[in-house]
Amino acid sequence: MEQEAERSTNIVPSTSDLDPIARVRKLLFRQMLVGVKDGRFFLGNFHCIDKQGNIILQDTVEYRSIRRSSPSPTEQRCLGMILIPSSCRTSCHVDCSIEEQLSLIQLKA
Amino acid sequence: MQPHSDEDSSSIHHDSIPSGDTSVWADVSPLLSAACFDLQEGQLINGDNFHLFAAMSALEIMDPKMDSGMVSTFYSIDEAIESGFAPVPISSDSIVNVQSIIDIMDHLLACEATWHMGHSLAQTVFSCIYVLRPERTSSQALLHSYCRVIRSTCRAVVSVVSDARTNEEEDLFTMTYGLPFSGDEDAKGLLLLNAVEETICRQLRACKATRRRALEDAELEPLQTNPHLEESFCKALLCRIRFRKHFLHAINCMKRPQGRGLELARKHIAYCITELDSVLESAEFLRLDIVENGENGIEESTTASGRSPIGFDPTLNKRLSAPTPPRAIKLLSWKKAIDYYVKLLHNLDQICVFSLEPDLDHVLQFVIQFQNSRPDLVARAHLQLLLVQDGKLYGRDTFLTICARSLALDVSKNHGLHMNEYILQLNQLMINLLKILCANTPWQRRKLGKILNDWRVFHVQMGITVGQMMQGDSSRASKNGDKSLIILNHIYGWLDEQINWVAIRFLMLGFDLDLYSSSEYCMVYWYMYIILWKLAERARFRVLIIVNTEERKAKRNKEYSRDMVREDRISLWVLFLQCQTSLAQGLAVMIAALRNEGMCLKTEGPFNTENEKFIQHFELLQKASLPEYDAYESFSESTSHARLDYLPMYEYFHDAQKIAKDIKVGYANDPDKLAEVRGLEKVAERNIVAVNLFCQDRSLKVSFEFTHHPYFATAVVRRS
Repeated sequence: MEQEAERSTNIVPSTSDLDPIARVRKLLFRQMLVGVKDGRFFLGNFHCIDKQGNIILQDTVEYRSIRRSSPSPTEQRCLGMILIPSSCRTSCHVDCSIEEQLSLIQLKA
Repeated sequence: MQPHSDEDSSSIHHDSIPSGDTSVWADVSPLLSAACFDLQEGQLINGDNFHLFAAMSALEIMDPKMDSGMVSTFYSIDEAIESGFAPVPISSDSIVNVQSIIDIMDHLLACEATWHMGHSLAQTVFSCIYVLRPERTSSQALLHSYCRVIRSTCRAVVSVVSDARTNEEEDLFTMTYGLPFSGDEDAKGLLLLNAVEETICRQLRACKATRRRALEDAELEPLQTNPHLEESFCKALLCRIRFRKHFLHAINCMKRPQGRGLELARKHIAYCITELDSVLESAEFLRLDIVENGENGIEESTTASGRSPIGFDPTLNKRLSAPTPPRAIKLLSWKKAIDYYVKLLHNLDQICVFSLEPDLDHVLQFVIQFQNSRPDLVARAHLQLLLVQDGKLYGRDTFLTICARSLALDVSKNHGLHMNEYILQLNQLMINLLKILCANTPWQRRKLGKILNDWRVFHVQMGITVGQMMQGDSSRASKNGDKSLIILNHIYGWLDEQINWVAIRFLMLGFDLDLYSSSEYCMVYWYMYIILWKLAERARFRVLIIVNTEERKAKRNKEYSRDMVREDRISLWVLFLQCQTSLAQGLAVMIAALRNEGMCLKTEGPFNTENEKFIQHFELLQKASLPEYDAYESFSESTSHARLDYLPMYEYFHDAQKIAKDIKVGYANDPDKLAEVRGLEKVAERNIVAVNLFCQDRSLKVSFEFTHHPYFATAVVRRS
């Protein structure tokens, strides 16, 4: 929690100064939640990304719903290191505090 | 970069995947895409701990070959069931219902056979939803009990194979992780199946009695609505049910300790074979309407009718096996599955008729004979379980007793010997040997090569100890009637014979596995000759010991009846070895002569020298001091001067032929052995003819064939 607070104070003031690459670099090792086309989600530590947008996560857990219709209970499974090709990625979220979220959103505007 | 869509993610991740206590999930897709845009080609954003090599092992999501979690037809078994993929009852139309059940039975048979061939249970038998969730079908006695019995059978087979551990090469076989393997409920399946069988039996009788009327009179509910088809449907179901029942009984009987259930198992096996015949016959009826529809591809089908069964999806379980998906497998066809079962049952029957004689020579001969038909995993596991139980042969006799018996020695008075460290070690070596002999051929050969060294080390150590003991207190031992030392000494001698036996088995398996090229036959036969000669010598020595001991026993006790059967058997075995020795020697010399005269390929190739090939093939034997001298040097010396006009070559073949003729009488009661001896005789005969031809015309072309014996080649001569 304290770490979380620290991180956010680190990032918030610098958001506008840093270029996107440096900001993504700051996301390394943090919990990332990636959704893929078939409806599954992968929660793992952000390890690497390349020019094409392929992401590598470490210590990943796979979440999938048991039924097609939502809401439905989910099933989990540990997968370790995975590579998510950008072509099948549908969403990507990072675990952060609310202030940090605001600073991340700024980019959209 | 994919556009991020809110609908996709909203329901699952915000609700069910927790972020930190005071934190939220912030969408970083836009940031990532911006960063990617700025990145140079080939540039990565990564931390200090990033290794490209390690990253290569990451599972690629959505790659069908790496991602077993990829959602295929159904998200889960429950969803499949809810969507009506495996309905109960299968159809409201009773004819379709019965037909579908028969299809499921047939497909399960194909699945089970495929599993036996080494694929995972999850992809085969447990791809059936009715098997995965038998509780759903409890209202449908027929399907329900059948599925329960299938599950019990799988359990029984898994337990046999994992106890025997003959599955090292087929390691998927025993993997049941995550599969519903509850035993208690399944145990009731057999009772239920019996009840179902009874009902169908009554229906069948009713059909036969007065056809339609009887059915209506008796308060029996027919299987389906068409009375003309009832009898055939009853028959088709009955044979399938009975096969299942007897198969499970047979497997369970064979598992009983000390081979006590073998006799009963044999009866069940016989029933199984008859029922399989009826199952095959039923195909004609089941296929009737399909043929009318003009469908083909019956040969490849997994059901007798040619229809595809209801309720099977091999992808349902694929996440159970490993993070990466299992390879797609092709199921055996229904016909091939039946062929497989026929073979399995015959192999099991072979085991059941085996007389559990406490005689090592007999056991080894049997195992070799049994392996000749290349039995599959399940049969081999059963044999191994029978042979080695609780560290004893058939769970009855210690290996000390067995080894001593093969020397006609009695160890019942020497209790101390059982605790002797060498005897304990010998026990372990024998258990290992028997287990290895039950493995599949490649595995068997590899392991035999490896244990040769263990045996040799053991032999040397035992030799030193026994030698010291003999020098130390031979006088004391003989006085107080303790024969331990004599027994140990004899066992020491016998060990050498056993080592040579393992070595010759190792060499011969090379032919089974096609490891030798024809240019290497010369060295292989030369080596076989060396080993066989030693083996025959050792065996002959053992015969002398046995005859000697038996004669002394007979002298001391007038009523003692000598075990002539065994004496004869071993003498015959020695002759058999001598026949093979002569043949191997003849072949080695003949091929060497052909090579020296330029009539057949030299061993030298562009890559390896002859010496290197020699080492590649026989390194393990040489490490175990087989023979004790430099084998290659001896080989090249003894073969370099061979010429076609070298007379003893004929003699070797003539000797072999003569011995083979003599021992044929002795093997009159053993058809397999007799056939082998006949084969050896023919090999000798043909090779004599071939050698004569070579001598007359040196321009002939020579090739080698294994038409008469799997290990001894026949030279074939062609003009041009």
